[in-house]
Amino acid sequence: MHDVAIKSKEVTLLEVLDRVLNKGVVISGDVVISVADVDLIYLGLKVLLSSVETMEKYRGAPITGPMQEPT
Amino acid sequence: MKLYLYGIIDSSDQINEPIYGLEGACVCNIPYCDIGAVVSEFTEPVQNNTKGNVLAHEEIAERLMEHFTVLPVRFHTVFDGRDNLLSMMQSCYKDFKDNLARLHNKLEFGIKVIWPADKIKEHIINTCKKSSQKMSISDDSSNKRFMRDKFEKYKLDEEFQAKADKFINIMDIFFSKFAAEKKLKKLKTEDLLLDAVYLVEKDKQDDFREAFEHIKGPHTSFKFLFSGPWPAYNFVILPKNSDLLKDSRQEDLFDKVVQYQELAGAEKI
Repeated sequence: MHDVAIKSKEVTLLEVLDRVLNKGVVISGDVVISVADVDLIYLGLKVLLSSVETMEKYRGAPITGPMQEPT
Repeated sequence: MKLYLYGIIDSSDQINEPIYGLEGACVCNIPYCDIGAVVSEFTEPVQNNTKGNVLAHEEIAERLMEHFTVLPVRFHTVFDGRDNLLSMMQSCYKDFKDNLARLHNKLEFGIKVIWPADKIKEHIINTCKKSSQKMSISDDSSNKRFMRDKFEKYKLDEEFQAKADKFINIMDIFFSKFAAEKKLKKLKTEDLLLDAVYLVEKDKQDDFREAFEHIKGPHTSFKFLFSGPWPAYNFVILPKNSDLLKDSRQEDLFDKVVQYQELAGAEKI
C-alpha cells in the first residue's frame, strides 16, 4: 500500500512537471527577463516510464493491478 | 520589481482570499480590461528552479481554477515591472480572450495507458508462425529466408500498430462522448500505448471518470494512469507567429535534461 502511494506521488509529480515546464502559455520577447524552457514532451515520458519500471525493479514487486489514481 | 506570472484569468477583480505562491510571496491579480494577470512581486529575480517552486506554481494555477477560467503560464515566466506586463497583456488580449472563452467551464484530464508490448508482440509472432508453418516453403535458401524474415518483421510491425489502433479506438469512443476536445498520442514508446489529454466540461467530469473506470475494468494486463482535473495546459492555443508568443527553445539540450531530472528527482531512482 505504501509503495503504491509513493508510486502515485512520483507519477503525479512527473505529470505536474510535464505540464508546468512544457505546456501552457509560453511568453517570450523583449519584455520577458527569463523563461525556463525545459523540453520534456518526449524526455518526460521516458523518465515517467523508467521511473515506474525502475521502482518496480528496486522494490521487487511488480505492479499487478492498474495504477492508483493520483491524489 | 519583478513580476512572476502564474496565469491569465477571466476576471479583473482582486483575489478575495489570501494566496501565497513561490517562496511564500503574496499572489495578486493585475487587471487589464476585463481580464487579469495573476502574479507575485519579487525584488530579486526568482532563480530557484526547485521542485517546491514548480509545485507552488501548479498549486496556484489549481487554486485559480476553482474560481476562474485560467490560462496557465509556463513555469518561470518573469516580467520586469508592471509596464512590461501590461504591454504584453495589451498585445495578447484578443488571443487570451478567445482562449478564455473556449476553455470556460472546462477542465483537462490526462490518461496514459501502458500495455504489455512484449506480450503483444509475442502473441503476434506466435500467430504468424502458425500461419507460416501451414504455408512452409520447401526451398529454404538464404535468400528466401532473408525475405521471409523481412516480411515477418514488417508483418509484426503492421499487426502491432493495428492492435494499438484498435485498442485506442475502443477507449477513445468512450472518452470522447464526454470531451469537448482531445489530443491523442499513440505509442510514444512501445509500452506507452496511449498518452491522451481530454478537455471536459465541468458538469461532465463524473461521467468522464466513470467512462475511465469502465474501460479500466476488463483490461487487467494494462496499466492505466488517470490524472486531473488540471488547468487546461494542453489546450491553450496561441498564434505561433506572434512577436510576443513563441516557443523559446534556446537552451542546450543537456542542460534541459539535467534540469528536468533534478526537478523530477530522477537521480534517486
